[in-house]
Amino acid sequence: MSLVFQSLVLGVLMGGLYALLAAGLTLYFGVMRVVMIAHSAFLVLAAYLAWTFTVHTGLDPMLSLLVTVPLFFVLGVAVQRLLVARLRPATLTMMSVLLTFAVALAVEGALGFVFTGTHRRIPLSYSGARLELFGASVALVKLIAFGLAAVTLVGLHVLLKVTRFGQALRATMQHREAARLLGVDTDRVAGFGFGLGLATAAVGGTALALDSTIYPSLHWHWIGPLMAIIVVGGLGSVAGAAIAALLLGVGQNLLQIPLGTTWAQTFFYAALFVTLILRPQGFFGGRLAQRF
Amino acid sequence: MRSASEKVVKSVGLIVLVAFVVVFPGIASDPFVLSVGVVIISYAVLATAWNFVGGFTGYISLGHAAYSGLGGYATGLLILRAEVNPWVALLLGGVVVAVLAVPVGIAALRVRGASFVIVSIALVLVLLLVFQSWESVTGGSDGLRVPRPFGPEVLRPEQHQRFFYLHAALLAVMLLCWWAIDRSRFGMGLKGIREDEDKARSLGVPTVRYKLAAFVVSAFFTALGGGLYALWFGFLDPIFQFSILVGSNMVLMSLLGGVRSLFGPLVGAVVVGYATEFFKAQYGDTQMHLVAMGVLLAAVVLFLPDGIIPAVRGLVARLRPKQASIREVTQEELAEEVRR
Repeated sequence: MSLVFQSLVLGVLMGGLYALLAAGLTLYFGVMRVVMIAHSAFLVLAAYLAWTFTVHTGLDPMLSLLVTVPLFFVLGVAVQRLLVARLRPATLTMMSVLLTFAVALAVEGALGFVFTGTHRRIPLSYSGARLELFGASVALVKLIAFGLAAVTLVGLHVLLKVTRFGQALRATMQHREAARLLGVDTDRVAGFGFGLGLATAAVGGTALALDSTIYPSLHWHWIGPLMAIIVVGGLGSVAGAAIAALLLGVGQNLLQIPLGTTWAQTFFYAALFVTLILRPQGFFGGRLAQRF
Repeated sequence: MRSASEKVVKSVGLIVLVAFVVVFPGIASDPFVLSVGVVIISYAVLATAWNFVGGFTGYISLGHAAYSGLGGYATGLLILRAEVNPWVALLLGGVVVAVLAVPVGIAALRVRGASFVIVSIALVLVLLLVFQSWESVTGGSDGLRVPRPFGPEVLRPEQHQRFFYLHAALLAVMLLCWWAIDRSRFGMGLKGIREDEDKARSLGVPTVRYKLAAFVVSAFFTALGGGLYALWFGFLDPIFQFSILVGSNMVLMSLLGGVRSLFGPLVGAVVVGYATEFFKAQYGDTQMHLVAMGVLLAAVVLFLPDGIIPAVRGLVARLRPKQASIREVTQEELAEEVRR
């Protein structure tokens, strides 16, 4: 029983991180109808930057966020402006997948070239610390990662719901032409949307680097589950993606007890295929998902 | 006038191509060059097989490595575990994969655009997991040694030569099929799906069945390509068989050559395959080849989305005297078409 509860807690913590990353993917999809395959490659890039930062300065990896978040924001705007916006609208969805896939390959190759394929792990003084949480023993780093994800998600939510920019962003996501008619500079907003999405990858990557070993091809292990999450949740729905992330994260962790880590990973793909057979538009998605 | 000169150019080109394929193993200076030739023609087989679904329907699958890998493993396992004759195993493997592709196609083709690409990637990732973990059957991460179909008296260079011709024969069959579909009603329907699926459907094209048929044909040929490669290479490792890179190579080659042209994937395979081998020989196996491939793919997507063949054709058309009519076919040609 306690093993199940333990897995449940770990699943929720894992799901929080998944939700943050899926939120980034949803943002790109919302503003440009683009599925960003390179998202998890940037995630690994952020993890490597955090590792480099800690190894060279000896400071806490979370301080690297002060650099990586703005940097990734600018990178995201650049990716949207210089690459995605240049594609023909007629074939945008398909070609953008290929384009961001190409970006992912380039990032992975560059990481392998600079950092070599050696597995790296950030040395942390508190990496062994554990906390008792409702009777489950949880590693402190997992809690911190969840906390980072939660804070970022709440911040994102507030930004989207309260600020003027958030309104413009949501308007662009809902109906681009209408937003433009109302005076929203949709190109600019789309660029910032991309920047925000990539900034979440910076946070996610740092959170990831806290408690796992990183290597250049790690992003393939993330892109599959993330894609499954946004399809199950319904493309373009932030809340749907968050619910799906939590459910799948918990499901994966529970299945690890009888099946082991590798086979539990297939749960994501099973969920993906079942969703496509039963409800191709996703279980929690809105109107947006219909066409894709 | 124009069609006549084009016909001459085309038939001359075809004869040159066939002649080159026939004499290549004879003029290849050493076994290494010959083996590179086999690798490139194997790429061409896979890319052309990919183009049955990518080119006709516009559904871009990044996960065709799933079918080439399954084809390779099906062939290898049938030989090893069921002791089937290698050539029968190759064909049977293709059939098995085609049957497997039916449920996968039904699920994957329900969604369009981005979701379809996601599903195709997911398929490769899940197969990689399965083939690595299921050690009792697949040999797991240690790989699977596939016995050679020819006896020990056939030496290495001779092997390369035979496999080069086998690949060429398969490629010829596939090109013939593609050409036949291209001018059939079925092909017309598929191309309708590519241009506008909803309109094609409202005009009475049975889109679901057509897409599925193209998908299964593509999976079958991809599996044959994978199986033939397995017989030639003699060793299967899940990491390389179910690799996203293999699938993206097929896409890159087809896009680079031109997905709407019969010989597009072949042209792309020769360019990319030669470049890859050249790169490996010059700089060794560093991670830079990933970067190079990423940059190349991005450049093709951004600047040459229709491929080399249409770009060259456009260039030729620009150098030609301007046509009087804005139609692609002249009135006379149209009248002749009707009369025929």
